[in-house]
Amino acid sequence: MNEKSILRLSILVFWTFFWGLSVTDKIIPDVQFLWVGKDFFALFVKFFGSLGLKDPLFATTALAGVSALEALNFALYFTATLSFAKGDRALTEKWFFRAILSSMVLFSLFSIADQVFGDRFQLLEHGLFWLILLASWIAFKHIPVPEGQPLHWTPTAASKRAILIGAVLTLVTTWSIWDFADDTFDNVDRPVSGIEVVDGIYKFDFPFLADKLVWEKTVQTFQSQNPDLSIDYIYTGPSELNSKKKTHLLLYIFTRPNG
Amino acid sequence: MDTPKTPPSVIPHQLVRYAILMYWSIFWLFNLLDKIIGGAHFLWVGRDRFAQFQKYFASTGLDSPHIANAALAVAGALEAFAFVFFAGALIHELQKNRETARRWCFVGTLLTLATFTFFSLGDHWFGDRFELLEHTLFWFISLASYLVFTHLKETGMEEQSGNWPRRQVVTTAAVSAILMILTSTAIFQHNTTDFRLRTEPITAQEVGDNIYKVAFPFLGGSTVFEQSLAQFKKSHPDKAIQHIYTVPKPLRLKKADALIFYIITEDQP
Repeated sequence: MNEKSILRLSILVFWTFFWGLSVTDKIIPDVQFLWVGKDFFALFVKFFGSLGLKDPLFATTALAGVSALEALNFALYFTATLSFAKGDRALTEKWFFRAILSSMVLFSLFSIADQVFGDRFQLLEHGLFWLILLASWIAFKHIPVPEGQPLHWTPTAASKRAILIGAVLTLVTTWSIWDFADDTFDNVDRPVSGIEVVDGIYKFDFPFLADKLVWEKTVQTFQSQNPDLSIDYIYTGPSELNSKKKTHLLLYIFTRPNG
Repeated sequence: MDTPKTPPSVIPHQLVRYAILMYWSIFWLFNLLDKIIGGAHFLWVGRDRFAQFQKYFASTGLDSPHIANAALAVAGALEAFAFVFFAGALIHELQKNRETARRWCFVGTLLTLATFTFFSLGDHWFGDRFELLEHTLFWFISLASYLVFTHLKETGMEEQSGNWPRRQVVTTAAVSAILMILTSTAIFQHNTTDFRLRTEPITAQEVGDNIYKVAFPFLGGSTVFEQSLAQFKKSHPDKAIQHIYTVPKPLRLKKADALIFYIITEDQP
């Protein structure tokens, strides 16, 4: 396989998986074991509700239409990949063009809807995807990369050294990841210790691994360690109180002496 | 009949080729360092990828840390090899082995594409659409930068090394120097007058019966919050804090307001 073919295959694989998983996400509703995905039904219901169309039939029909287009996209990319695997270059280009066109139509529809529903962030997101699709087509079809020469990778001293260095770095990284996980995994269910920052006010700096269970354990532990105090109020520190990316969540417990 | 000649390019193509290889080498090196260092330390914050992966997998019902570790290790391996191949391409480029540099850059790009494809699959699976956009953009940037790199090889042989017009250089340098002095003076002055706001408590302003408003400066963080509460309690010993209400973002004046909260009190019994 030459370099151009490898790049083309990378583009086909990316978009085939992209649409395949988008369709899967529509088939599997809500959050299930081994699948989270995004709840598009809830999103569509809220969008249509904001227009005054409260009947779920509108959202359901729109989502079914979108899913049908996504399924078509997937089928087109899949056929392009199959044609590529069979080595039929002209047919691959035809199917890939149809797939790109169909995907761009879908993102154009999404962009129209984003403007109607007033969601400017989604408009940016869909506009970017639209642009990437267009650029993928240009890359696939027009930009020259060495065509004829197959990818020969004769092992040289330099490439052997590179593989050795890569393997060593991988081992070091893997060891470090495992070591860090061992050190911090306790945070997944360990209560957080508070410090009294103002008279009767305790601060809790939650680690990144903490979740709702840690919150519950933290409050229970605080109560059992401070039987002479009763909790008046719990304040979740807004993101402005965080030290940028270093702090995950700050919690303040306001107390007063019992009795 | 003479065919018109294309004018030689004035863009130093070689520098752009170095810049592309340098960017991806540093990009992957720092991603790798982030995984090796792990957690926030003095002079390094990075991102807690273990916590991120662990939460993603736990959300699908896979609680074991070994699954998150294995996924991170695969990502780490792809990143390590991508770094090695881009760094190798840069070395070859510096040694003027252009064809070898291109081949190494190609392998680095393939590893980069594979990494972002791998991440995109996860984004669909875990339902993180923002990360999906981010990874798709990086996937495309990687592809585009390789195509630009290859294109520059073909067109970059006619780099012009003419002198720059002296008058333009002097004017540009003078304007830049004046602007640099102006901006630096403004920044240092701002620091002199406002850095105290990073820790100084804010005095609460009574806006209603038992309702006090605290408007934060942009520099304010948890220390200011705690100091402000301490000051409030000291100056209002007859009041007990009942509730703190944080003004939500839609109620703030766009970007002009930082954090605003109200302290709701009751008289001490």
